[in-house]
Amino acid sequence: MAQEKSEFLKGTLDMLVLKIVALGPIHGYAISQRIQQISKEFFQVPQGSLYPALHRLEDRGWLSADWRESETGRDAKFYTLTRKGRKQLETELVYWERLSDAVALILRTAE
Amino acid sequence: MHWLRRLFRKEQSEKQLDAELRFHIERQVSDYVAKGLVPQEARRRAQLDFGGLEPIKQETRESRRGHLLETLFQDLRYASRMLRKNLGFTIAAAITLALGIGANTAIFSIVNASILRPLPYKDSARIVSLSTHTAMYPTFSLGLSWIDFQQIRSQASSVEQSAAYDESEKTLTEKGSPAILSIANVSDGFFEELGANAQQGRLLTEQDSKPDQNHVIVLSDPLWRSRFGAEPSVLGRSVVLNKETYTIVGVASRGFDFPEKSEAWLPLSLSPADQQNHIFFMLQVLAKLRPGQKIEKLKAELDTIAQRTMKDVPALSAGYSFSSVPLLEDRVGDTRSAYLILLGAATLVLLISCANLASLLLARGSGRQREMALRAALGASRSRLLRQGLVESCLLALIGGGLGVFLAAEGVQLFRAIAPANTPRLNEISIDSSLLWSSLLTSLVAGILFGLVPARRAARMDPNDALKEGSGTNLGAARSTRQSSLGDALVTVEVALAFVLLVGSALMTLTVSRLLHQNPGFRTDHLLTFDLPQPPFDQSGDLSAQAKKQSEQFKGIVEKIRLVPGVSAVTASDHGVLSGMTMMHGGLKIDGAIPPSSKEERHASARYVYPSYFQILGIPLVRGREFTERDSGDAQGVVLVNEAMAREYWGTIEVLGKRISMSTDDKGKPVWDEVIGVVADAREIDLRDVPSPVYFLSILQGGNGSVHLLVRTLTDPDALEAAISREIWSAYPDQPITHVATLSRTISKSIGNERLRSILLVVFAGIGFALALVGLYGVISYSVARRVQEIGIRMALGASPPSVLVMVLRQGLVPVAFGIVFGALAAFGLGRLIASQLYGVKPTDPATFLGATALVLIVACLACLIPARRAMRVDPMVALRYE
Repeated sequence: MAQEKSEFLKGTLDMLVLKIVALGPIHGYAISQRIQQISKEFFQVPQGSLYPALHRLEDRGWLSADWRESETGRDAKFYTLTRKGRKQLETELVYWERLSDAVALILRTAE
Repeated sequence: MHWLRRLFRKEQSEKQLDAELRFHIERQVSDYVAKGLVPQEARRRAQLDFGGLEPIKQETRESRRGHLLETLFQDLRYASRMLRKNLGFTIAAAITLALGIGANTAIFSIVNASILRPLPYKDSARIVSLSTHTAMYPTFSLGLSWIDFQQIRSQASSVEQSAAYDESEKTLTEKGSPAILSIANVSDGFFEELGANAQQGRLLTEQDSKPDQNHVIVLSDPLWRSRFGAEPSVLGRSVVLNKETYTIVGVASRGFDFPEKSEAWLPLSLSPADQQNHIFFMLQVLAKLRPGQKIEKLKAELDTIAQRTMKDVPALSAGYSFSSVPLLEDRVGDTRSAYLILLGAATLVLLISCANLASLLLARGSGRQREMALRAALGASRSRLLRQGLVESCLLALIGGGLGVFLAAEGVQLFRAIAPANTPRLNEISIDSSLLWSSLLTSLVAGILFGLVPARRAARMDPNDALKEGSGTNLGAARSTRQSSLGDALVTVEVALAFVLLVGSALMTLTVSRLLHQNPGFRTDHLLTFDLPQPPFDQSGDLSAQAKKQSEQFKGIVEKIRLVPGVSAVTASDHGVLSGMTMMHGGLKIDGAIPPSSKEERHASARYVYPSYFQILGIPLVRGREFTERDSGDAQGVVLVNEAMAREYWGTIEVLGKRISMSTDDKGKPVWDEVIGVVADAREIDLRDVPSPVYFLSILQGGNGSVHLLVRTLTDPDALEAAISREIWSAYPDQPITHVATLSRTISKSIGNERLRSILLVVFAGIGFALALVGLYGVISYSVARRVQEIGIRMALGASPPSVLVMVLRQGLVPVAFGIVFGALAAFGLGRLIASQLYGVKPTDPATFLGATALVLIVACLACLIPARRAMRVDPMVALRYE
């Protein structure tokens, strides 16, 4: 499962992660649960992709991270969207909308 | 730069990564528990969902920038630890590479500095050197006459600038002891063409060539510093050269030395007679082509000029031509082919060392299969293992390369110290920085290339197989066969290359020993030689009176030298022994000569000698007598001939009383000299010559103004040099003395180039051979180590130790035998290339080939014997328990 990573999927995962984190500070496990729930179990985010993605986004300065107490009382690493991250998310959303519009247009026209 | 910071807070970030991932798993477990699973099952499911912790950690680490650098440090640390741990291997590999790189860098530095790098003159690539060829001396390149020089200047449109010069030695007599200077007499345009500048005063101009203004001199920088204390006040001072006074007008810029080793420059001023003489072929001419102009155009224009000369000048009616050679080629001459041979030899050494390095790395790579397998099983990715292997071999390559560059620097210094002084551009030879980098790069490429195969092999391996394989028997058999066949191929290549080197160096060594030990036909010990340059005759005065005076003075000098304690005898000739200089004469009138044996015109060399010349040189007198002091002046002209001359012209050595004429008197009648003696053939002109016709005239009956003295001493000739020059100068204070040498030194100098080449080739062959043997030894002992169990089983089943010995020897000697065959074929094919450098030995000398074969076989046996003995001592019980 960890092997099925195309560039497109990787970009999509990054965008989804940014979107989830935008709702408020959140740790890795909750992110994977949230994506699974919201997509109605459509996306199964493999850990082998999630954590590299989180660290990559943090490395680029789009996410910041700090350790705080989680809902179970154990310390967890919480990710927060930075200002740079918010801008990136907007760019990606715009791009995604244009992409899906274009794809939809092609599918409709080609019928 | 937070990735950089993180690099140094690695431990902490590792802990955090671990905690983050464990938190994930814990949460998953508690979620499953909340759904009603028993804790154990919940943990199992959670861990199954999550997958391998280590690979995810690794991928997460790799997703960060700075990761590459971080692991590179790790790899480097690991690599250096591994290299330290296997010190024997590391040293062997580094030295192997260092020798290959070192030999190559040193030779390439030398070749680059002397035959590739442009000469240090302005637009030197466009400068060509011209010479004349005539029918009379077909094998000689002569200088140009003034007339031709002027014609080329005015008529060759492809030439932008041109200048003429000739070289001479003059004695500087001034306060202190006289010094002999190498002088160039240069025409106008000389300094401009070469782009030379003055650092003090001025250089020479067209004005300086005028007869009444030509007593000016320009000093070279070294002369100015050594003799004149680098004082600017020397300008305007006068100096005396060969009894004539010159005014110093300038000092050339530092480093300008054309022609090579010139110490001062004078204006070229020829007498009107010399200027009009069309066969006065004494000028060296440099022509600079116009930009973009081809040398072919110049050649065509030179041909036109030569054609016209042949029509106009009856004496030069046939076979008259000019040749033009780029200045660099002219300067380097035939050293070029010698250097290319050395470069080839150094390349062979490099190839051998690369093959050796490859087999070392290969053997070690398979020795480390288990280690690699273990690391792969523990989660190291393939790319990481590959990189790890590469880092290790690159580190090794850099160590070897660095060591090699050091060796090369030392080698170049050594070369400069031992190279003969006439080696072209000797003082320009050094290691340059670009070469240094390219050497390091070469070693890096070698490291990557030869590290790649074993590293890839290690990375591609299935850890399961490798770990199961244990110490490597059954499963590894197929792989080890493949590996040993690669090892065998490398041994074959090494032996073949080393064989070529051995044959080459043996041939060159034979050449030197043939040259050294052949009988030159004269005694070479206890002889001090030097030149006594005489001022040219004043053409307007009474020539015979001047000749008489010179011959009187000359007798006086000989008497003076005889009185020096330690001198036993003195004689003289016009040209130096072994100087390679001689006067060739064609068109001799010979009394009673037999018809020539071939269609080519016959030539004989002429030599003017002083009484007892043959006695002192120990050249046997075969018939008649030699010159005495009575054979002087107006007495009957007499001549001696060597045996080769007698046989060539008369077909017998019974030629006393025959007559030779080489000139005519005022009325056009031939002047006859009578043969009074025949001497044995000797190689007094050049050691490499086969004896050719030579006739000898009495220097007291003529001569050409050049006098070369030969002093037979009772003691060490070098020790008498000072005493003899003191004695001469006490009576003739301004008599120049030049080219002082002992004959034995002249001889070893005359084969200096051959000797140096043979030393270098022997060194290269030694290195190559040693490396090939180390490679062979490595391959055999490695294979014995791998086959311990097999050998144990064989011995348990009844194989005797000698049969094991034979088995190991055969395994080692088969690739060696192939190597010898390929090497012999290659040496046979390459022989042509070095034929021109050899003397007295054929490039396909069977004894040399047989000797090299025997040497390689014997030493290869010894190299196999050590591991073979180890194999014989294998105790079957111990070997089998291993399994």
